Formats: sequence, structure tokens, C-alpha cells
Amino acid sequence: MLEKLAVIGLCLGTLLPVVAQAAPAEKPKAHGSLGLDSTKKALESGDEARTLAALDEIELSGDGRAAPLVEALLTRGASAKILLRAIGVAGALGKPSSSAAIAPYVKHRAAEVRRTAAQSLAHTKGEVAVKALRDALRGSDPALRGTAADGLGALGAKDAVPDLFVVLPKEVPEAAGAIGVLCAGDECNRFVALLGKLPFEVLQSGFLPLLLRTDTEVPDAAKLQLIEQLRRMATQQANTLLSTALASYPASGNPKIKTAIDAALHGHTVTSSEP
Amino acid sequence: MTHQKTIAALCGSALLAGCGAANVNSSTGFAADWQNDAGVSIAKLEQRLHALPLVPNARVAVGVNDAGLVGASLGSKSHWAYAGHPSTAPFIAGNLVIFGEGEHVVALDASSGAKAWSIASRGLTLRGAANDGTSSALVLGDAHKSLFLGVSASGSGLGSAETEATLGRPAARGGIAFVPWSNQYVSALDIKSGDESARLLARSQVSHALNYGGQLYFGESDVLRFDDKLRYASTNQATHVALPKLDLPGKPAWLGNGLTNVSSEANARTKIRIFAAPAQAANGELSFGAGTFAASYFHVLFGLDAKSGALRWVRSLPADIVGGAAASSGFVVCDSNGKVWSLDASGGDAGSLDLGSKVRLCAADTGAEPVPTGAARGSLAAQIAQAFDALDPDMAEAERFLVSELGKLEDPVVTKTLIDLSSSPRIPPDLRNETRRLLALRKNGTEYMLTALARHYDFVSGVLLPPPVGPLADALAASGEKRAASLLAKHLNDPANSADDVAHAARALVNLATAAEYEDLRTFFALYRATADDESLVAAVVACAEALLRVGGEAGRSVVERAAQDPLTQSDVRRALPDVLAAGSAKPAAAAATGPVAPGGPLAPLAQAATATAVPEN
Repeated sequence: MLEKLAVIGLCLGTLLPVVAQAAPAEKPKAHGSLGLDSTKKALESGDEARTLAALDEIELSGDGRAAPLVEALLTRGASAKILLRAIGVAGALGKPSSSAAIAPYVKHRAAEVRRTAAQSLAHTKGEVAVKALRDALRGSDPALRGTAADGLGALGAKDAVPDLFVVLPKEVPEAAGAIGVLCAGDECNRFVALLGKLPFEVLQSGFLPLLLRTDTEVPDAAKLQLIEQLRRMATQQANTLLSTALASYPASGNPKIKTAIDAALHGHTVTSSEP
Repeated sequence: MTHQKTIAALCGSALLAGCGAANVNSSTGFAADWQNDAGVSIAKLEQRLHALPLVPNARVAVGVNDAGLVGASLGSKSHWAYAGHPSTAPFIAGNLVIFGEGEHVVALDASSGAKAWSIASRGLTLRGAANDGTSSALVLGDAHKSLFLGVSASGSGLGSAETEATLGRPAARGGIAFVPWSNQYVSALDIKSGDESARLLARSQVSHALNYGGQLYFGESDVLRFDDKLRYASTNQATHVALPKLDLPGKPAWLGNGLTNVSSEANARTKIRIFAAPAQAANGELSFGAGTFAASYFHVLFGLDAKSGALRWVRSLPADIVGGAAASSGFVVCDSNGKVWSLDASGGDAGSLDLGSKVRLCAADTGAEPVPTGAARGSLAAQIAQAFDALDPDMAEAERFLVSELGKLEDPVVTKTLIDLSSSPRIPPDLRNETRRLLALRKNGTEYMLTALARHYDFVSGVLLPPPVGPLADALAASGEKRAASLLAKHLNDPANSADDVAHAARALVNLATAAEYEDLRTFFALYRATADDESLVAAVVACAEALLRVGGEAGRSVVERAAQDPLTQSDVRRALPDVLAAGSAKPAAAAATGPVAPGGPLAPLAQAATATAVPEN
């Protein structure tokens, strides 16, 4: 748990990409055209080295046409080494059609396979991916629950917010980040109200995205309440969070919120009617 | 053994408190030169006393606490308290409560708690006391000697007899004290003189003389009745009764060794006891009250059949049981909170009273009266389930006993209880293995099994142990329950289940699966045909292949054939698949549509490699 929190803390300064709707990993640049027939043969060869080489080639090419071949490989099954590579490549290709082939592996008995699958699903997206990650959130693998929470945030799985609230205090701090990205209306108020009830370290990864969201689903009152509570905390961590929010506040954001952050950093009281 | 006939100096008034009379010290009590009279003397005595009215002990419960004694009459529910420092457990003797306190033996009126008399204990510790309705018989002792002491109703010392032999707990009737000694004799002593008028030679261990409803008994692990057949005791033909030998939690004893002193402090045995009352059954046979006896284990009370020892009922009380007594039907037990519970022969609640304070131990007597019938209770299976809910994790011995009893019951509710126990994180692993073993053997309670199988590990909902999939699979496969197929198939691909459980599920699906389970089977096969890394998973994959061939038609066959050819397929799996395919080919394709293949299948030895049920990993 402490390790998890430390990592989350370290990542606080790099949360902005997540806020920007958790963009999928950058796809590898294409390195020329892929010979689909020869690739297919290699993937069906039963030769581990040849199969791995073909997967490398697919990833390097970034050729989405190879996604069905990788999906077929996953559907047939293979050695753990190949599976891990194939799942990663499918994620890199980012085709929603691959989610159905990857999803069963979130329940594989090998932890590494499960976690790789969950990470890839965040890139292949789609309803199948969301369902698989929601299942993973309910599963018995603690690390996978964290990965699933991250993935659900990245996929914009708003329906998962109630479940994320359940797991948040149960050693799944990643749920905070997801809630900060996904919450709407009273959910956001409820999230802010957790400050003081759960450790700041658990919640902070969700507060920054919440403050920086520009959509209308987050009530301004919730943001102001959060800013005021952070001001009252007057800790270095709280100030760092506010400073980071101010520095990276989006141009399209509500200027009243930005003003409130600034005021809070100068020690001025912020209330919902003030800005 | 050497017996010392004592003609002690008359005890002076300084030795007596509350009385002015001196003891008459017997020269005949416990004589070492007694010749076995084949029961003649005891028979004559029995004839003489036979017509006398029975004198039961008072119906009272007496608790010991730091402030002294607290008592309550079972009939009138009157309370009393005695401030003092009892050094021995209290004995209920006729209408008196007698106990040791410092250098004295004190007697209280059982109904009021008023002091009746006090007498010097001569440096010895009170070991037992009895009363015949008029006078009392005391046995005192230490490590070197024992003393019988008669006491009048006013507290005057009467007859006495001292011996180096170890005396046990006495009973009294018609002016005669019956004192067991040396584990084999019961001497009948005149309370007034201490002289021995008869002696019983028993062939079984005897350290207690007992008064149950006025009727006298002698024994320890079994008891002889004081009746016209007692003369035949030396040839084992007396009227006797014994409890069945059972392996009960804590190994409780019924009467225990009556040759030892009983402290006023509680010990482990205080809470692990057997309560039984000899009583004549309707057929004239000597049995135990209403055919039952009870055994306590801390706060749990087990009601057991007096003949077979089978568990008849169980109940858990709010606090540890620190004493009690059996009635001619039913039981009275005290808990450490000071509550006295009247329970009928079925364990039904027949009322209670309060001693008014917590107690560390308790003595009780029900007189001759039965406990009235109490509130009806549920089935034994339901009672066991309730008792389990109230058991602490450190009550493993009681849990183990109850689980073994559950296995003997046919009630479908047992299946539910076994499922609950198998899924409970507070059950020790060895006991969980036993509940799983018993569950696999269940032949009823199918609906409970299906409901359990519908459940999965769910961190969000707080279901943190998966159901016992393996045992459920075995039980449902044995009964051919097709409704289990889809539920079992879903468990194949749930990593919260142990590999062993998954293997059992896959084995069950060989027979139970239908085409509807094809996709789950295929997924499992794909995920593990090349990654199975232990024996159970290999067995599960091979069983899955059998099921795929049976329900999957051409598509299923193709999946298995391809895996059999693929060098990436795990070696053990790959070695087994040709046989699976061959066996599948030998069966008509119609089998897929018409029903399950024969139990076992072609690779039963491999697929059943993990037959022992085991605790899930999580």
C-alpha cells in the first residue's frame, strides 16, 4: 500500500496526460508494410522464436491489419511468453476488435498475464474492455484491481464509479484517480467529502484531475469545496497540489475556479459563493 | 493398604465452633481386617432403609464469586447471598449448602442462605458432604489422611472415623453415611457413632456416593444403585448404569475422581463437564434422565443420547457454563454471568433465573423433579448451524465435533451449513478440508449447492472466499445435476478458485456439460492448454478436452486436434490428447446430443489426479 501511494505521489506531477482523457499509448511508427500471409504462417507455426519474431514485426509495423492475426493467436492460446507478447502487441495496435480476444486473459491464473491484459484493454477500449476491467476490479488480485481502476478511468467508464468508491478505502488508491476523472454531480461532492476521512495520499491522485476537468459534470461547488479544504490543510502536499493545478489549469477551464486556486494559495478563504 | 483405626482423643471445645458436644470416634470404621461378606451386610442395611422416605437434596443453584456465595432456589426463585471466603466448592446436602471456609466447615440453609452451623475442620479440607434430612455426613482429608465426621442438625459433632485410606464423597440416608474409599469400598457408617455397619465391595471404580432425588448410587465412571440387588455388586450383578464412551470436546468426565478435594477456584475442568442423572426408565431399566445426558464445553452444551451417545441437540449459551446438574428429565446449568438455565431433555428453554452476580463456579441440584418441557427447537442441523455462528475461532474442538456430527445427518440444511463453513474465513484449514470432504459426499440440498455455485469471489461485494467449487462439483456430478453445468463452467475461468477446485469442476463437466457451455470450455482450454503449470491444471485441461469433444461437435474436435499437434501445447497435455481424441472418436457423435459419456472417461486417472479436496489458495 505504501509503495503504491509513493508511486502515486511521484506521479502526481505527471497526471496531466491522464486528465487529457488518458490518451492511449503512442502507437509505434510504421516501419514499412507487413507481409500478412507470412506473418500468419509464423504466428501459426508452433515455433516460439518464430512467433515472437512475428509479433515484434507486427508491433514495429504498427499495422492494424495484423490485429486479427494476433487475436486469432490469443483465441487459440499459446505459451506464457508468447501470450504476454501477443497481448502487449494487441494493446499497442489498439484495435477495439482485440478486446474480446484479450478479455479472457484478465482472468488467467498467471498474474503477469492478467495484468498485461488489463493494461492492454485500456488501449483497445470498447464495452468488452470496460466489462473485463470491471470484473477485474472485483477479482482476487490486489495489483490487478489497481490496474483495472486505472484502466476504467482511462476508458471513461462512468458506470464503474460506485464500484470504485467501494474499493477506494480498501487499498486500491488507484481508484481515486479514476473517480477524479469519472465522477459526476453528487459523486464528485462525495469524493471531495472523503478528504479527512481517508489519507490525503490515497485521494490526491484524483483531486488534480477533478480540479482540471473542464466538463460540466463536476459541480463548481465541489471544486471550490476541495480548494478551500486544501487551503485549510495548509500542508506542503496540499499546496503542491494547488500550485500544480494553477500551473496547468486549462485555458478552457472556468476562470472562477482558477481565481479560487490562486486565492487559496495566498491564504484567502474560498467559499462556493466567493468567486 | 494400611488402615488406621483411630481412637482419637475427644475433641475439645476449642476444636468445635458452634457446638459443645464432642465427637464419638469409631473404632470400627474402615477396618482393614474386614472379610468380604458377599453383600450380606449391605443387603441387610438396604432392607432396613428401604421403607424410609426418599430425602432429595434441595433444588438450588449456588454460585461462588469473590464476595462469597450466591444462591437461588430453583422452585421459588428466591435469592440469597453469603459474604465470606469459601475455600472449597459448595456441596448441596439435603436442605443445606456445606462448604469449607478457612479452618471451618460451614453449613447454610439452602433456601435462605442463613448459617445453620459451623464446625472446625481439624486442619483438613472438606471433600464432600451429605445430609439425610436430619444429620450431616462430612468427609475431610489431606494428602495423608481422611476423616469421616457426623454432624447433628444443630452443628454438634457426632461420630467420626479417621483413616489413612483416601475417602471419597459421601451420601446419607436414615442415619447412615455411605462413604466410598480406596476406589473399591463403600462403608456404611452410623452418623452418630462412626461405627461401620455394612460394607460394599464394588468391582468397578467407586469414589462417589450420590443422592439423585433421594435415591442413592455409588460409583465414578458408572454407578450402582442402592437397591436389593446391590448385594451382588461383587459379582457385577447389581443394578448399574454407565454413560457411553465418547470422544467429546475437551474429554469431559462425568463424576471425576471423588477422592480429591475440590477448590473454590475454577479450573479448565469447571467448564468441561458431563451432567447426567441416573433414573429409572419406563421399562424399569436403570438409565439416565429422559435418555439423555449433557456435556459442556465452555459456553456450548451438547445433549447426547444416553445409550448410543449420538448428538441429540446442541445449544450455545451467552457465557461459559461453570456448573449445573441433571434432572430426572432435563438439566439446570449456570453460566459465568450468573444466569441459571433450565433446559428440557431436548435442550429447550424452560426458564431461567439470575444469581445476581457473575460466578466462577456453581453447584446445583434439581432434587427429584424434572425440568418442564421448554420451547420447541429447530432441527439438529439448524441447531448446529446456530451453534457455529456463536463459536469463537478458539473453539476448534467443538467445531470439529459438530462438523463430524453434521456428516451423520441427512437433513438438506446440512448441505447449506457445510457450504457456509467451507466458505468461512474463520474456519481453520484442517476443519475446512473436512467440511469440504463431507460436502462432496452430500446427496441432497442440491438447491443450496446451485445457489452457492452462482457465487464468485467478489472484492466489491465483500465475498472474499469463493464457494467450495471442487466438493460441489463432485456432489453435483454424482447426482448428474445438469443445472450445475453452466455454473461450473463459469468457475473454470475464475482464478480465485484453486487449481484443484477447477480440476474437479472440469471433471464434473465431462458428464454434465451441454453445448451451452462450449464457449467457457473452449476459453479455458485455450488459456491453459499451453500454460498449465501444475498437475491439477493439466488434469483440468484434459478433462476439458473430453468435454469439448462431447459437446463441441466439429468445432470442438478441431480445437482439440489442433492443440494435440501444436508443439506449444504443454507436454503432459499434449501426451494425453491423442488418447482423448481416440476415445472421442470411438463414441458415436450422437453422444453429444443424447447425454453424458460414461463416468471416468478415457483419461480418468490423469484427470482425476487431484482428487483430494483442498483449501482454495485465497
